[in-house]
Amino acid sequence: MDEMKNMKLSKEDFEFVQLDHDIKDEKFQGEAIGFFKDAMLRFRKNKASLGAAWVIAIIIFMAIFGPSMNEYTYRQQHVEWALLPPRVKGLEKIGMFDGTKVMEIKKESMEGKYQGAVVKIIDEYDKEYNGVKVPMVKAKINMYKVKGADDVYFWLGTDSIGRDMWTRLWRGSRVSLAIGIFAVLINMIIGVVYGSISGYYGGWVDMIMQRIIEVIGGIPSLVLIILFVMYLGSGIVPFILAMVLTGWIGMSRMIRAQFYKYKGQEYVLASRTMGAKDKTLIFRHILPNAIGPIITQATLAVPGAIFTESFLSYLGLGIGAPEPSIGVLLAEGQKALLEYPHLTLFPAIIISLLMLSFNLFGNGLRDAFDPTLRGQE
Amino acid sequence: MARYIAQRLIAMAITLFLIISISFFIIHSMPGSIVDDPMLPEDVKLAIEDKYHLNDPMPIQYGYFLKDFLSFEFGTSIKVQPRVPVFDIIKAKLPVTLQVNIFSLILTIPIGIILGIIAALKKNTMADHIISIMVIFFISVPSFVFAALLQYFIAFKLGWAPIMLSPEATLTWTKFKSMILPILALSFGGIATITRYMRSELCEALNSEYMLLAKTKGLSQVQATVRHAIRNSFIPLANIIIPMFFGILGGAMVIENIFGIPGLGQLSVNSINALDHPLTIATLFFYSLIGLVTILVVDLSYGIIDPRIRIGGRK
Repeated sequence: MDEMKNMKLSKEDFEFVQLDHDIKDEKFQGEAIGFFKDAMLRFRKNKASLGAAWVIAIIIFMAIFGPSMNEYTYRQQHVEWALLPPRVKGLEKIGMFDGTKVMEIKKESMEGKYQGAVVKIIDEYDKEYNGVKVPMVKAKINMYKVKGADDVYFWLGTDSIGRDMWTRLWRGSRVSLAIGIFAVLINMIIGVVYGSISGYYGGWVDMIMQRIIEVIGGIPSLVLIILFVMYLGSGIVPFILAMVLTGWIGMSRMIRAQFYKYKGQEYVLASRTMGAKDKTLIFRHILPNAIGPIITQATLAVPGAIFTESFLSYLGLGIGAPEPSIGVLLAEGQKALLEYPHLTLFPAIIISLLMLSFNLFGNGLRDAFDPTLRGQE
Repeated sequence: MARYIAQRLIAMAITLFLIISISFFIIHSMPGSIVDDPMLPEDVKLAIEDKYHLNDPMPIQYGYFLKDFLSFEFGTSIKVQPRVPVFDIIKAKLPVTLQVNIFSLILTIPIGIILGIIAALKKNTMADHIISIMVIFFISVPSFVFAALLQYFIAFKLGWAPIMLSPEATLTWTKFKSMILPILALSFGGIATITRYMRSELCEALNSEYMLLAKTKGLSQVQATVRHAIRNSFIPLANIIIPMFFGILGGAMVIENIFGIPGLGQLSVNSINALDHPLTIATLFFYSLIGLVTILVVDLSYGIIDPRIRIGGRK
């Protein structure tokens, strides 16, 4: 202690560390990563979702440009060329899409009706018919030759009145996608507004709005949609409206839950104390928290809408002829499934691919926006 | 508990009444007439329509309807099966829908649970990945695509099962054989849903603290898993199995259509198409009732299955 007291400090003992330059924070290395960029980084790591995004992009591209890739239109009929199998130039030489069909025919008609069209004989046998043995042949037959369409190529074949399936398939995808995407967009808007009001104001407003949802949601939605489509008549717009009837409920419930989660938090209280209006609080402070779940839920709702559309077409409530949709094509194909499976096969592949990729894409988005949910289905 | 159930039942009755009223107005404002035979003279047509009060103004029709409805008188079918009481028609269509769907559930629930348990126990291994791929595939591909594929390959190409449902009235071996394909087509989606749910619940349970406690007390991994984790993960599973069980009554309209099953789904489409109002309202009432009962049963079952959850306002 004594030593300390005797210590003397002169002015020369001190020196200024920095007098010439001002103090600054260290500069960030690299650029700032925002919410969406962060999500994109995570999304790119998910190979399945990335692949799904590409499949969706290709199908959307084909839905826009596919119908104009050959010279046929979706409603042009060639009755004499009905129900032709698929045939593609180039691929036909290696035995795929060569316009042939395996048929069981009478041996004598090989010289008559099917002359020159038989590509390969697979099997020969006799069939009892009214006690008489008829020699039969199981053979691969070029249907294009039989129907006198030697130089014609229908890439995916033709339907029962000779319309080109390629054009109809992509036009159908366009219609189905349009119904799915528009229905989901409208649902999203209604759901966000309804859920925000119900969740933000709470109390008796919330009570009444939730009872309304309970009543609407209590009616079996499929029956409601069927009634509505029958009432308005078929078409793209009635379909979209019918799906909006009950489709927004899920979105509004999610938004309401988000509002209940955030509206009591301190930052909202702080903002309110400083005089922020309801509008600012809702749209600027609370709603942006829900942007990730909104996008995810909307993506996952698109396959549901496409499914409903096909479902109704199967029940004979499809959008009016001659406009195709994937559901209409599937329903038409179902009638001739056993004879002409190609009519069902291609729409079935497209709808399965669409549903699969939208689901994978949606799951990828959910994991990217909120990594804590990863692994939960 | 009793008080809570009473409250719920009253709320349910009000909802049901609103639903039926809304459906009444939608159905009766549909264009068209039940008499579509153009050869019929105008006065006969009017007489038929008058008999069912179809030419009265809407509020009066609604009055008649309410009077019948409150005395549980749903009337007889006008067109689909004329003069047959509507509930008799529903009763006649119910068994085949029930058969197909119950068989589908018998297949769905055990397979789904077993696959889910395998996936959770072998998390992040080859088996888990294969099951996950299967799940996303089965959930995405629509049931009617499966139905078409099964019908073409299994029934037509291989000839292992009949293409259409056999028309016998009772459940015989031939009929059961013809039911296999619709049952399969209905099951894939359900199996995938249960597997996915079971996997995520069991994964969570396996990582929980009570598992650690059980193991520190000396239970082996197998004992702890079977006695604690799996039992606990069955609780949330009730949430999806109970709706599935009631949902089967609604039937699967498209599957019924593809395989020619004369069930409830077909009935409701036919009745709407034929403008058979009493039958439409009865089927709607039936579906809504099932929907609401399902919600109620699910809510009540929480408390019964898992005593930790209390229902109602009071503690």
